[in-house]
Amino acid sequence: MSNPWIAIGALTLVSIIIPVSMVVVSALLRPSVPEQGKTAVYESGEVPTGDTRIRFNIQYYMVALLFVVFDIETVLIFPWTVIYRDGVQQFGMAQTLVPMLVFIGVLVVGLAWAWRNGAVQWVKSTRARDTAGSTE
Amino acid sequence: MITPEWAAAAPTLVLGVTALVLFAFDSIDPESSNNPVLAGIAVVGSLAAMGVSVAYLVAGVGDPAVELYGGQLVVDGMALFFQVIFTSVTALVALASYDYLEDMRHQAEYYILLLLAATGMSLMAAAGSLAVGFVALELASLPSYGLVAFLKQNRGSAEAGLKYFLIGALSSAVFAYGISLVYAVSGSLLIDAVAGSVRNAGQPGVLGVGVLMVLGGFAFKTASVPFHFWAPEAYEGAPAPISAFLSSASKAAGFALAFRVMTVAFPIEGVVGAVDWVLAVQVLAVVTMTLGNFAAATQENVKRMLAYSSVGHAGYVLIGLAALTGTGDGGLVLGAGMIHLLVYGFMNTGAFLFIALAEYWGVGRTFADYNGLARRAPLACVAMTVFMFSLAGLPVGGGFVSKYYLFAGAVNAGVWWLALVGAVNSALSLFYYSRVVKAMWIEEPAEGVDVSSYPSTLYAAVITAAVVTVVLLPALGLFSGFAFDAAAAVLF
Repeated sequence: MSNPWIAIGALTLVSIIIPVSMVVVSALLRPSVPEQGKTAVYESGEVPTGDTRIRFNIQYYMVALLFVVFDIETVLIFPWTVIYRDGVQQFGMAQTLVPMLVFIGVLVVGLAWAWRNGAVQWVKSTRARDTAGSTE
Repeated sequence: MITPEWAAAAPTLVLGVTALVLFAFDSIDPESSNNPVLAGIAVVGSLAAMGVSVAYLVAGVGDPAVELYGGQLVVDGMALFFQVIFTSVTALVALASYDYLEDMRHQAEYYILLLLAATGMSLMAAAGSLAVGFVALELASLPSYGLVAFLKQNRGSAEAGLKYFLIGALSSAVFAYGISLVYAVSGSLLIDAVAGSVRNAGQPGVLGVGVLMVLGGFAFKTASVPFHFWAPEAYEGAPAPISAFLSSASKAAGFALAFRVMTVAFPIEGVVGAVDWVLAVQVLAVVTMTLGNFAAATQENVKRMLAYSSVGHAGYVLIGLAALTGTGDGGLVLGAGMIHLLVYGFMNTGAFLFIALAEYWGVGRTFADYNGLARRAPLACVAMTVFMFSLAGLPVGGGFVSKYYLFAGAVNAGVWWLALVGAVNSALSLFYYSRVVKAMWIEEPAEGVDVSSYPSTLYAAVITAAVVTVVLLPALGLFSGFAFDAAAAVLF
């Protein structure tokens, strides 16, 4: 008889109505005092400097990508080490070890390629090089 | 059968190993400008994979189907047939790219991405579970995004890559969500097991939405309505050999997975209570054919015309699924779809490679820019004429036979109106295809077009594609049995 979806639907409805009604009611009740300081970027009471869009070095992205290689490797090696001993007993060395070696081999080829093509070579921007030169 | 069993996956493995060899070569010699070796490895690797899959097909390795890893991979006649398509297109594209990429940077990356995408496509054709199908689809798609944006200094190429990526990400999400809904109903990801449990599914509504979402994922990969928007942009902006690769091999890969999943996992007599996907595909087929051909007829840019015609051809192949009404011979019409994709793999790749040739010469992009090209490059223009007439379905190439099979199969299945729409669209397509031929042979040449050099491998690829297209006209009778048998084996 009582459909559990009715309760969930009612809960959804309430959870939408509460925030919307709070915003609407406060917008109706509060006095409106526009002031320049209110529209400024909030930086913990500090005077804001610059805007929110900064450029950061694209090479962080390459490092993150290389991290994924090791990350996936770990995720798959961990369970493999747990069952390794049983696996060798049941299926023999060749069927247990070789697939993992092939997998790691493929990743090593990829890593070596990325390394040789300069993914981990840290290139400084010309501006960073100039400021470094002026402080020395 | 074959021993050891894993050797049945050899076409995919050869493609993957070729990509790894390219990785190794580029690691030893980064920034290599040694184009002949790079192109050579790619061509030899894809030819070897093609040889293996042809040999397997002839030797009957896929009959009965070889199931690997508990059914996650299924190597049957259909998988091998599609692998022949992918590998031959990859070989042609790699061959043509040698001249096209002359003096460009990052050539090794180009061939690596090409081979990785081909590996993914080959895996898609052999996917035995929805999860493998999804991962293979991503393996085929992600390198394609990079390849479309390969000319990264060119605004059109970068824009096309971004659009392709965004629509691809959206439709991947739709596809994955559809898979999750199907899993919720059937409790399995294996295509065979899904078929068993959807027959009396408890929640027909959830199943119906899931099937339609999965169908949407296929529509993206095959550039069918309603997910076709990316196709004209991506094909026009991409380097022309990549347009050839995407519009032939990538489309065939989408159909390979679609044929297997829709026919095996969702047999229409079992799921018709939840969703009549055959009716949905019929609507998609009619809309895709008509929209693709009408849009192509209004184009002034030849590459864009070919892109829209590629959408139209997706509509023709959709007949292969749309005519599975249960009446008539399902294997005939599904096999006809496979044969059309094979022929299309050569004639469409050839047509795009001719565009690559024109881009190499610096000829403009519109029909008018092709005026009088036949006087300067008669051989290539003969090849292009063959492609155009074969695409339209005239009996100069294999396109005539494959369209005939498709329409005959549709009539046989009782959906004669699909064949009628297809025939009317083919007649319309003759109009815009013949505009290219007219421009090349009849119009007076424009001033200032200078065909100074004749790039040998680009020429070789175009001529090879033309020869195969012509040879397929008589030869299709010899081996169309492979396609019909493979299709029938999947259906029953």
